[in-house]
Amino acid sequence: MKNTLEISPKDMINAFLLFFVITTCQTGVGIQGFQRLIYADAKHDAWISVILAGLSSHIIVFFMIKTLELYGSNDLYGIHQDLFGKHLGNLLNFIYILYCSVAFFLILENYIEVISTWVFPRLNPKFISISLLLLVIYTFLGGLRVIVGVSFFSFLLGLWLLPVLIFPLKFSNIEYLLPILDTDIISILKGAQSMTFTIIGFEIINIIYPFVKEKDKVKRHVHLGLLVTSFIYLTVMLITLTYFSGEQLAKTIWATLSLFSIIRLPFIERIEFITICFWLIIILPNLCFYLWAAYRGSIRLFNVSSKKFVWIFSTIIFIFSLFVQTRIQINTYTTYLSKVAFILVFIYPVVLYILALMKKKFSGKYGEKNE
Amino acid sequence: MNKWRFIILSVCIITLAGCAETKILERISITTLIGYDLEDNDKVSTTAVIRQVNPEFESKVDTISAENYTSKGTRAKINLKTSKKIMAGQLRVVLLGDELVKNDIGPTLESLSKDPDISSSISLAVVEGKAKPLIEHKYENIKDIGQHIYMLLEQNVEREHSISSTLHEVSRVYYSPLSDLILPVLKKKDDLVEISGIAFFNDAKMVGQLPSSDGFFVKISRDNYKSGILEIIINANGLASQSDQNLPDEVPISIDAIKTVRKLKLIDSSDLEFDLNIKIKGRILELHPDVNVGNPRLVKELEKAIDKKITSEISRVIAYSQEINADVYGFGEHYRSHVRNSKLTSEKWHEIYPKIKVNVQVDFETIRSGVFE
Amino acid sequence: MFRKKHKKQTFVLNTLIEDNKEPKVTSGKIFSSSKSDFIEAIKHKTHSPSDLIVKTISPTITVVYVDNIVDNQSLNKLIIHSLNQINNESPEIIKDILSIAEVDITVDIDKSVLAMLNGNVLIHVEGYSRIVVAKISSYEARSLTTPENESQVIGSQVGFNEDISTSISLVRKYILNPDLCIEKFTLGAQTNTTLSLLYIKNIAAEEKVNTLRQRIESINIDALLDSAVLAELIDDNSLTIFPQMLLTERPDRFCDGLLNGKLGIIVNGSSMAILCPYAFVEFFQSREDQNLRWFLATFIRILRFSAVFLSVYLTPIYVASLTFHYEVIPQPLLVPLSESRALVPFPPILEALILEFFIELLREAGARLPTKVGQTIGIVGGIVIGTAAVQAGITSNILIIIIALSALASFTTPSYMMGNVIRVLRFPIIIIAGIWGYYGIMLAFCLILVHLLRQSSLGSPYSAPFYPPRMIDWRDSIARLPMPLISNRPKDTRTKNQDKFKTEPVKPEKLDKLKVNE
Repeated sequence: MKNTLEISPKDMINAFLLFFVITTCQTGVGIQGFQRLIYADAKHDAWISVILAGLSSHIIVFFMIKTLELYGSNDLYGIHQDLFGKHLGNLLNFIYILYCSVAFFLILENYIEVISTWVFPRLNPKFISISLLLLVIYTFLGGLRVIVGVSFFSFLLGLWLLPVLIFPLKFSNIEYLLPILDTDIISILKGAQSMTFTIIGFEIINIIYPFVKEKDKVKRHVHLGLLVTSFIYLTVMLITLTYFSGEQLAKTIWATLSLFSIIRLPFIERIEFITICFWLIIILPNLCFYLWAAYRGSIRLFNVSSKKFVWIFSTIIFIFSLFVQTRIQINTYTTYLSKVAFILVFIYPVVLYILALMKKKFSGKYGEKNE
Repeated sequence: MNKWRFIILSVCIITLAGCAETKILERISITTLIGYDLEDNDKVSTTAVIRQVNPEFESKVDTISAENYTSKGTRAKINLKTSKKIMAGQLRVVLLGDELVKNDIGPTLESLSKDPDISSSISLAVVEGKAKPLIEHKYENIKDIGQHIYMLLEQNVEREHSISSTLHEVSRVYYSPLSDLILPVLKKKDDLVEISGIAFFNDAKMVGQLPSSDGFFVKISRDNYKSGILEIIINANGLASQSDQNLPDEVPISIDAIKTVRKLKLIDSSDLEFDLNIKIKGRILELHPDVNVGNPRLVKELEKAIDKKITSEISRVIAYSQEINADVYGFGEHYRSHVRNSKLTSEKWHEIYPKIKVNVQVDFETIRSGVFE
Repeated sequence: MFRKKHKKQTFVLNTLIEDNKEPKVTSGKIFSSSKSDFIEAIKHKTHSPSDLIVKTISPTITVVYVDNIVDNQSLNKLIIHSLNQINNESPEIIKDILSIAEVDITVDIDKSVLAMLNGNVLIHVEGYSRIVVAKISSYEARSLTTPENESQVIGSQVGFNEDISTSISLVRKYILNPDLCIEKFTLGAQTNTTLSLLYIKNIAAEEKVNTLRQRIESINIDALLDSAVLAELIDDNSLTIFPQMLLTERPDRFCDGLLNGKLGIIVNGSSMAILCPYAFVEFFQSREDQNLRWFLATFIRILRFSAVFLSVYLTPIYVASLTFHYEVIPQPLLVPLSESRALVPFPPILEALILEFFIELLREAGARLPTKVGQTIGIVGGIVIGTAAVQAGITSNILIIIIALSALASFTTPSYMMGNVIRVLRFPIIIIAGIWGYYGIMLAFCLILVHLLRQSSLGSPYSAPFYPPRMIDWRDSIARLPMPLISNRPKDTRTKNQDKFKTEPVKPEKLDKLKVNE
């Protein structure tokens, strides 16, 4: 386990910033309409699924950090290369890069879909994607510190959305939650699985870990971040479940946005239009971190400068976005990604940990004998 | 400098070609009220109140109507008749003619919920007769019928004289299989529009109607209640024994600042027996001058009489809704949420509903009685 | 572009002169011992200007100086009078005789010419190639006045003036400390402007001083007429719209900066001093905030920040709402808004741009006009824009309120430079709001945010103390908490000495102990 990443202290970030990185990576387009997907499986016990999903994310992150700690200061790509050798490792790295790119692409597409549906139905989505990509490129070229900075501000500025959700409580009916545990446990677990696309994002820890200054504090801040996101998801879920009746929720595509629709303030109405546009700052760190994760992997495979990489990457994404036009396509791809992400994010890290542990024990003994 | 050229080029392209569709405020017609009616040939006729701004610094309110098979289709037709684009983003009220609601309210609700332009906070109401004449009538004192009806509904909902019927609440009940909706009913009376009653629905069809005076009883048995005013006539037999003066048999009494707490309890899940317990706190505002509210025993009797009266009224409205098979009180929802694996379907519940037993219990408490005893 | 490493200006001057060779000036650098050659050399160097005075005091002693920049009284009393009493002494003796503080002996012709142009008198003695340079300069300087651009209600009312020595003396008056370091530089091939770098030794970070020193030394520029030019030459990113260094004419603000570990530069001939590194937030803080009670200061700061936000976003929000998002306008506002717009022939974006343009014109005209005529602008602006434009139907009166409000808000920024930026920033946002509505506004907001995050000022992050988050500095950023809570110096200047003062009051027992130790 010799290969470690050497990172100059200038590029390092403080451990407590991980809290913001994790929370902003997790909240993104998913939170706009995750309720419907989970409701489809878990019915009115969907909130239990949310808790379960949150719990499992804690467990997985525990394994992820354990794996990373085995290597001291290295990222997932380096671990792959060390564990599986150059060729197989690079293949896995390539898969992970692909995963990050697809996640990036789908976040972009989902957001554009929301904008085109609610705000500008007749605006060509190409222009939104160009503008978003340019913004992401500009952020990305600022380096990791700027990306983390964006996520920090994204969290702070996005906080106002939570208290706004108090308004729909006026219409809440607690009876919609009862009886608790009416749905069987399999469906609830299925619901938790449907949460995947919404809750992923914390796997960025795999890549960002070597950049953290105080490695011993990583655990605390990451788990705190996960706890906060789980809490946010749970709150939103509970409000949604009491606000909508069952069938109505099943038909509401972006339940969180519909929650905003009822709010009417003396100086402003239809807050959902503002929230949708505001969401830009919420998904910006999402996009940047996936892009950055893909970049970190790519420099292991090819010799490419960040400038070149980001332009090529954005061009490819833009070309692909030309082919995806309908909501059905987006939904299908999102479901696929959700399935892949479930394997990559929720199952694979455990396997990886076991492998890494075995290799360490094995090579440790081997090393002793050699000496 | 290649990069700069590229950036400038892309910015130019975006700005020139990527301009979103504009909806400049004074160049659109803002619809504030829409009325839907069902015509004989199964077409929907739409009547819209449109606010147009003209250069004379005053806004004009027009009504336009058109017929087509879908409600959106009528909007396209209406657009053919106006000089400015019709926009529904400021829609406040949707009126439904009673033929439409007696047929099927579903498609209208669905089309309203689907449209991202339309807020889920708009109000819905049923019109006695057709919506079109109510909207198109030239009222003497009402300049803007759209605004007027909106304020009328909102003011009455706020003071709890009428039931709240936002699109969200309506579609929430509509999509819930075990409960049925109620909507306020509007009626044109000479040169006025009034809230004349409450329409009861069984699933998607309007099946009955109660006068708006019964609204209070429907409301308190549906939900907690926070303000409002009530006038009832109580039986004064009990009071007479405590009072020195002679009292007529029936005494009208008016109560305000009412607060109610409703508690529903399923006491027998097999026999379907519910306990509906309603605690009311209020202020006696007006009473026969001979009833002395300073007398605690008399007040007790008075409260008893009020309890009795309200209980009987509530039992009556519940019996009525059972008769027309419209569960607007949430009994079904309560049953579902308290009985595990009930697997109740809409049909099954509507079969059972007329047979359920509801024990109404009302507990009135006088808090104070004005500034003059 | 302008930076070239280590090139001394004197050499440049030297080479320039050597181009047109003159046989009489033999060595170029060293004076000849003969009187006529000396005079010839000086005249040649300076192209014999009309104010060059050559005075022969005795057959051997010649005095050369430039009229108007020397103090005539000292010249008569201290130099001519003294020189009259001696005869043919060596320059060393003359140097001792003259009762003038700054007297030097030099053989360098270029240096002495520069010194002469700076108010020195050159004294030549026949037979010696060394000459005496005595400083009796007297420049016409503006007397100290109140700072015009950064006025404040409570606090000192004195501003820097164009004379560097006056300005430095003001700083010295505020900071009586041997640790106050002043380094002198000369910049500008043509102007030879002197400037001073000021910092407090044990507070300012060494590496920042080195960076700044290096940046100043590497500048190769023709003329340096104002400190604003210098600020642009030495900042981190000259392409950004945001100023990265503060230009202030308030000595108290300048000294406050120095005491917080910042570095200052005073340029001769400019009444504005430079302070750096300066973070974005600090541009919106005024020295006055420290003078007010903390609660009031916090209120005023919040007011200022909301003013910035209003100033940048109010007009774009109006444009976006009226162009795309009529849904969000509440019903009671809808009617007045649409009625006021009814006569306007332009779409909101054009209407807003025209009116913003008017306001900018007014501001610019107001700044250019003499003060006496300046009031006319107010009347013209008030009548033309306020009334006539609405009656003519070019703009709506609600927009006028909005534009006036945002213009007013932009003037609350305590830094004039930043205030200008805030106003200019509005234009692109109005345009993008007219294209993409709220989405465009949000896009612009994110771009500005990212842009600010990417900037640095002298290597310190520009978005400090918010990012990187330094919670302890938040106490004195948007808010201004009570004194005991803001006893630390800002972290982003990386000062050696973090505490401004000890927060706990010294207890009597401790004082006793100290006395015992003594």
